[in-house]
Amino acid sequence: MTGAISGRYIPGDSILHRMDPRAKLFGFIILIVAVIFTNSIIGYAVMAALIFAMACAAGMGLKVVFGSARRLWSFFLIIFLMNAFFYSSEDPIWSFWIFTLSKEGLIQGTNVVLRILLIIVMSSVLTMTTKPLGIMTALETLVKPLKFIKLPAEEMAMILSIALQFIPTLLEESSNIKKAQIARGARFESGKLRERAMALVPMLIPIFLSAFKRADELSVAMEARGYRGAKNRTPRKEERMSITAVLVILLCAGICVLEYFI
Amino acid sequence: MNEMTSVKKSIICAVCIALCYILPLFFHGIQNAGTIFSPMHIPVFLCGLICGWHYGLFCGIAGPAISSALTGMPPIALLPSMMAELGVYGLIAGLMMKFVRTGKTYADLYISLIVAIIIGRVVAGVTRAFIFTQGTYSLAMWVSGYLVTSWPGTLIQFVFIPTIIYALMKSGIIPERYPKEIK
Repeated sequence: MTGAISGRYIPGDSILHRMDPRAKLFGFIILIVAVIFTNSIIGYAVMAALIFAMACAAGMGLKVVFGSARRLWSFFLIIFLMNAFFYSSEDPIWSFWIFTLSKEGLIQGTNVVLRILLIIVMSSVLTMTTKPLGIMTALETLVKPLKFIKLPAEEMAMILSIALQFIPTLLEESSNIKKAQIARGARFESGKLRERAMALVPMLIPIFLSAFKRADELSVAMEARGYRGAKNRTPRKEERMSITAVLVILLCAGICVLEYFI
Repeated sequence: MNEMTSVKKSIICAVCIALCYILPLFFHGIQNAGTIFSPMHIPVFLCGLICGWHYGLFCGIAGPAISSALTGMPPIALLPSMMAELGVYGLIAGLMMKFVRTGKTYADLYISLIVAIIIGRVVAGVTRAFIFTQGTYSLAMWVSGYLVTSWPGTLIQFVFIPTIIYALMKSGIIPERYPKEIK
C-alpha cells in the first residue's frame, strides 16, 4: 500500500521529469481518450509500447510504474470474471445456473481490465514525474477558460493540486489504520464478502478524523505564511509553452487518432 | 483557531476530493461494494455540510473525475451521471446547512442529509432517464439501484456522517454550530 503510490513524486532528472507539466497533463488527458478508443490487440500493443517508452524515458523500472496497479489485482480479477460470466448469454462456451461464460464476455472483461490498467499506469507516470507545483501550474492552465464565466479558476486549481498531493499521504495513513485494526483482531481478507465489507466500516471515522486533522494543520500553516486565498496571490508570469511541449501534445493527439482507426 | 476561513474550507474540500479516490479503493476488492456501500458519497456530503454549497458542489464534481482519471473507476460511461448526482448531494447538503437552523446540531445535520439524499437520488434518476441513458432507464431500475441495493450505504451515511461531524466539532477541528455561551 505504501510502495509506489499514485500521486507521489519521485525526484529525477529524466526527459519526462524535465518536460513542461502542462504538456504532460494535456497529453495524459488525450491519452485517456485514446485508451477509451482502444479496441484491438494492435491498439493495446501500441499503448503498451508507449507506456514502456514512458517508463524508460522516466528512468523508472516497470515494477515501479506498475506498483500502484499491482495492489488492485483482486479488483481486476473480479471485474474480469463478472464480465466473462455475466456480459452475454449468447453463444456460450460454458453455462451453469446463472453463469454463462461467453467469448464476448471474455473479450469485454479483457478490454475493461486493460483500459483501467493503462489509465492507472499512465496516471502513475504523470504524478511520479511531475512536482506538485508543476501539476498546480498545469491545472491552472487547464481550468483557465472557467475564468470567463467568473468561476474562481485559481482556487479550483489549488484545491485539485492539494487533493493530488494528499492522496499518497492519506493512502499511507489509511494503511496504518488498517494495520492497527488488524492488530486489534479485524479481519479484512477472510470471511464472506459482506463481512469483509462491514469490517472496513470501523475504519471510516479514524480515516476521516486523521484526514481532517491534516487539513486543519495545513490550513493553519498556510495562513501563518500569509496565504489568503488564490485570488489574493501576486500574479506569476506564465511561461510560453516550448515547441517540444507542443510536439508532445501533438504526438499524443496523433496516437489518439491512430487508436480510433485501428 | 478553529474558525472556518476560506483557506481552511479549500483544504478540507481538497482532502474530501482525495478521500473520494481513497475510500473506494478499499471497497474495490469486494464484489459490487461500490453500489452497495457508496463510499464516495460520504466525503462529498461531509464537504457540503462543513464547507458550504460551493465547495460541496465542486467536491461532488471533481471527486469522481479525479478517481476516474487515476483509477478508471467510475468508468467514463458512468462518470457524467455520477458527477451530476454527487454534485447535487454536495450542493443541497451545503444549502440546507445554510438555511436550516433548528438550534440542535444533530437535527440540522439529519434534515440536511435526508433532503440532500432524496433530491440527489431523484436528480440522478432524472438525469439518467432523460440525458445519460435515455430510453434504457426505468423506474424499476431506479428503485433497485438507489433504494434496494444501496440501503447499507444509506444506513452508513446516516450513522457515520453526523458522528464524524460531531467528532470534528468536539475535537476543535471545525467550529461548533451552536457554541455554548461562556458565562
